[in-house]
Amino acid sequence: MQVSSSLLYLDGVSVSFDRFKAINDLSLYLEQGEMRAIIGPNGAGKTTMMDIITGKTRPDEGKVLFDGEIDLTQHDEAEIAMYGIGRKFQKPTVFETQTVEDNILLSLKGTRNSLPALFYQPNEPDNQRIDEILETIRLAFRRNDLAANLSHGQKQWLEIGMLLAQDPKLLLVDEPVAGMTDAETAETAKLLRKIAETHSVIVVEHDMHFVRDLDVKVTCLHEGSVIAEGSLDHVSSDQKVIDVYLGR
Amino acid sequence: MSLPVVLRSIFSLVILLFFLAGQSIAQDSSVGTVIQKFATAKGFSQVGKIIDELGELGDPKAAPALRALSEGNLKTDPSNNSVVIVSGDNLLDPVTGETISEAAGKSLKKIRIKNSLRRAITAALSGMTLRAQDAEIRRSAAQTIFDTSDAGQLEALEKAITAEEDASILSLMKQARASIVLNTTDDPAAMIEAISVIQERGDREALSLLSAFEASAEGEPKQAAAAAITRINDRLELWEIGQNVWYGLSLGSVLFLAAIGLAITFGVMGVINMAHGEMVMLGAYTTFVVQEIFRQSAPAFFDYSLLLALPLAFLVTALVGLCMERGIIRFLYGRPLETLLATWGVSLVLQQTVRTIFGPTNREVGNPSWMSGAFEIGELSITWNRLWIIVFSLAVFAILMIILNKTSLGLQMRAVTQNRRMASAMGIRTNWVDAMTFALGSGIAGMAGVALSQIDNVSPNLGQSYIIDSFMVVVFGGVGNLWGTLVGAMSLGVANKFLEPYTGAVLAKILVLIFIILFIQRRPRGLFAIRGRAVDA
Amino acid sequence: MILTHFLKGGIQSRSVLTMIGLLCVIAILIPIMNLVVPPASPFHVPDHLVPLFGKYLCFAILALALDLVWGYCGILSLGHGAFFALGGYAMGMYLMRQIGARGVYGNPELPDFMVFLNWQELPWYWYGFDQFWFAALMVMLVPGLLAFVFGWFAFRSRVTGVYLSIITQAMTYALLLAFFRNDMGFGGNNGLTDFKDILGFNIAAPETRAALFAASALTLALALLLISSMVSSKYGKILQAVRDAESRTRFLGYRPEKVKLIAFVVSAIVAGIAGALYVPQVGIINPGEFAPANSIEIVVWTAVGGRGTLIGPIIGAVLVNAGKSWFTGVLPEFWLFALGGLFIFVTLFMPKGIVGLAKKLSNFSRPNITTNKPQSSDGAIAKPAE
Repeated sequence: MQVSSSLLYLDGVSVSFDRFKAINDLSLYLEQGEMRAIIGPNGAGKTTMMDIITGKTRPDEGKVLFDGEIDLTQHDEAEIAMYGIGRKFQKPTVFETQTVEDNILLSLKGTRNSLPALFYQPNEPDNQRIDEILETIRLAFRRNDLAANLSHGQKQWLEIGMLLAQDPKLLLVDEPVAGMTDAETAETAKLLRKIAETHSVIVVEHDMHFVRDLDVKVTCLHEGSVIAEGSLDHVSSDQKVIDVYLGR
Repeated sequence: MSLPVVLRSIFSLVILLFFLAGQSIAQDSSVGTVIQKFATAKGFSQVGKIIDELGELGDPKAAPALRALSEGNLKTDPSNNSVVIVSGDNLLDPVTGETISEAAGKSLKKIRIKNSLRRAITAALSGMTLRAQDAEIRRSAAQTIFDTSDAGQLEALEKAITAEEDASILSLMKQARASIVLNTTDDPAAMIEAISVIQERGDREALSLLSAFEASAEGEPKQAAAAAITRINDRLELWEIGQNVWYGLSLGSVLFLAAIGLAITFGVMGVINMAHGEMVMLGAYTTFVVQEIFRQSAPAFFDYSLLLALPLAFLVTALVGLCMERGIIRFLYGRPLETLLATWGVSLVLQQTVRTIFGPTNREVGNPSWMSGAFEIGELSITWNRLWIIVFSLAVFAILMIILNKTSLGLQMRAVTQNRRMASAMGIRTNWVDAMTFALGSGIAGMAGVALSQIDNVSPNLGQSYIIDSFMVVVFGGVGNLWGTLVGAMSLGVANKFLEPYTGAVLAKILVLIFIILFIQRRPRGLFAIRGRAVDA
Repeated sequence: MILTHFLKGGIQSRSVLTMIGLLCVIAILIPIMNLVVPPASPFHVPDHLVPLFGKYLCFAILALALDLVWGYCGILSLGHGAFFALGGYAMGMYLMRQIGARGVYGNPELPDFMVFLNWQELPWYWYGFDQFWFAALMVMLVPGLLAFVFGWFAFRSRVTGVYLSIITQAMTYALLLAFFRNDMGFGGNNGLTDFKDILGFNIAAPETRAALFAASALTLALALLLISSMVSSKYGKILQAVRDAESRTRFLGYRPEKVKLIAFVVSAIVAGIAGALYVPQVGIINPGEFAPANSIEIVVWTAVGGRGTLIGPIIGAVLVNAGKSWFTGVLPEFWLFALGGLFIFVTLFMPKGIVGLAKKLSNFSRPNITTNKPQSSDGAIAKPAE
């Protein structure tokens, strides 16, 4: 695997909390434009891996490179976000006291400095972009409602919409369909596939139907390391995966 | 004063009286004769001779007359050529101390003295006490000679040294002799020997004596003195560090007591109790009330009042804490900032209540006899109340550790601290644990108040003066960790006391505050922080 | 152009606009009722009430400043009294220098307390305070700088919530201890007082006091306009996003520490200006203003009125302080009971304060108008893009 050709390059990454190894010698490579699904039992280190990629947690050792050259261990959350990594949290995190539209507005790609924000004026390109995104995530009709009043599934979509507004090179999506109805889950899979046409995506999910719907390469984590990688059929027939995750 | 102390002092007084009586029978006449000479003495030199004569007699019976002379109360009555002591309106016999007559209408002549004679009197007095029966009198006599370095006392001192049996007084007398020798001899070897004797003493007095000597000495003795000064200084510095550590630990234990209850409630419930200081204050006022009752109904048992005040203060404040938790705080869980404000409101109400009942001024809380006074270890002066407070705070720490680690309440508290929702799911009644924790934390604050009443003013503002310091300790030590609180309190106390000599008390406190503010920036979760994914999820 | 747009955002809320208008009216009306209306008239405002009202307005500015950081950014500062007092001291230093040779010791250069301490010359940090422009600059610069340094450290290391509250309290406590020291050169325990002139006018004259009152009212109106504009801009939305989900904003690429720092510094400067207006009207500034209890009182004004509502803190500050004046006149020993009770009552039963309550009542009586409008606070209502 060539370092420079991969969008995300994790090599020999380890991190421990109070002697508990959350991530243990983890290596993972993601191609430009690739969508990857990550599965694994609870405590496998999925969320911690995302914490490391987004700069929330510093690894004890190992390399984390983005876009072939950016050493992510040397940057904090805001810088990494500006390099083009967006993240959706396991628990939907939107700005509840603000409207759906403002949530998108705050996420729109552009400067993050406060001074321009003080004198920001709504403008046509921004409004168009907001319209587009609201259309994509099917929330145009709730544009002026407070995010707090959205249903759980709608909040998940809003957060995906915020990711889109950021227009990152890489999207990290943590359990996007947790708590969704079957219909919503199918919609979400469709939405993610559409997003993946133009972005690289890592999806963490437990829902096997959803993963099957995505139809992408799958990585299975266990105790902080990769135990199997490949197509869903290949991974789900792996004996180790069956033992620790699927087979019970 | 407790009974034993009274008895002991009465006992020693009786002994002294017997001793004095015995002496006076044998030597009464000779002391009286010598004192009578004052009546005819002319000029300072003759008076001086009589003083010396009295000193040589070494009879304590002469002491009242000498003291009166020094104070200008020894007078002669020209009408019958007698010597009398004037005391208020009465004339006293200089030897027996009995009242002879009233002073009114008599024309008395004062025996005039000058400063050199006053020194002679002091020396004579100490000379006659050097062989007193009471060890303490001998000790202080030797000390006086050391302080004055009076060459005139050398002879009496030598005699006393041969007779002395108490080792510590003996060495003090030898030091006194050395101090005289140092100032009188011309022999360098004797000087150096004296210096080494004085150096052994090693305190500030020895230091000032040697410094004075060093300034005027020459040659080898000068070097010896300089070396001795350095050594004494080193030793004193060491003791000073010790004293600072002691003061620091003492302050630290006070901080610890004030903060530990806060640490528990903050750690387990994430609740900032701004009324915590008022719990301390309530504990102090409980002590006051208990002591008042003892004073009025059972003064003989006053020494035991604190033993009753401790559990009572715990109960009172735990009850107040419980009411607070049930009445206010439980409605505000998950809103720490609002809790902070509501408890501040409670603190205002409690303060004003106490002010209304007990008045705004300081209340007198007494020290039982076993907590008053001080003793010395080397150059360390250790007061009993501070020592007891340190012991008490360590006991509180130990008991809390046992509660947290060995009881089921403790187990539940730790479970709730680590993961409230999980604990709740496991069937722990988190409501009940919260209420108990709050009551426990408040009760401990009340007990801290009992301890603090022994060293601080008991006023309605007592709590206010501790609340910020307590926060600092908790934040510095790390939340939810008793060891952190202990280490935090002690290190802040010691740091404060070490800074004080250089910066003054106020600036030291400011510096410590600034240090903590900066420290929190470095380690936002304190000294002993819990690390992990769940911490700030 | 940009500025007018910025300010236009600030007056979109009707309540803010009403309040600004009201303040402009009383800025004119009260001085007239004091100076022009004859004392016999029922509309006459007696001399002693003018500085009292002025004091309330200064407190209102202070509460407004706190609302910016607490209501919109979630920073519960328990040390805002420190910024207020620093602004007050800067103004007090100017007023001290204005006394000149009229002090008890008649020293043209040194204030009385320095002569009393046997100081020979003016400390360097007193230089320049004989000039009003310099003092006015310091009124904003000193609190602003302190807020900047403090905030820079605190926000950068992600100190939040009660921890932040406690260290802000420690900050004002440290300053309290420092200003009590005589050798700090700020008058120690007694502070600065016995002022004579401000800008050449007698500070005790009714005309000066009326002018100071009008200045306070107008400053409050300006501060309200400024802060309202700030919180309705996109920056204000970021600010509230940081308040609600700080770590989320980080993953969007924002730097919460910088966002908060700006609000904190602006708030401190406004608080400093409030202190500077307060000092000439009450005639004294002493270290007591740094007392942690004072700072917490500011919080209760804000909470009573309703945090995050802009006009709430103004109403709260005036009401609570009017209540305090009344209580201390009639039942002095009950004031702390009332204040303490107010703290408890407001946090338990009126989490959104008077303004929140009023809004709830009006929503209740007219349920149809506000179907799915957010029950968010007034100034914080997000407006659709124009």
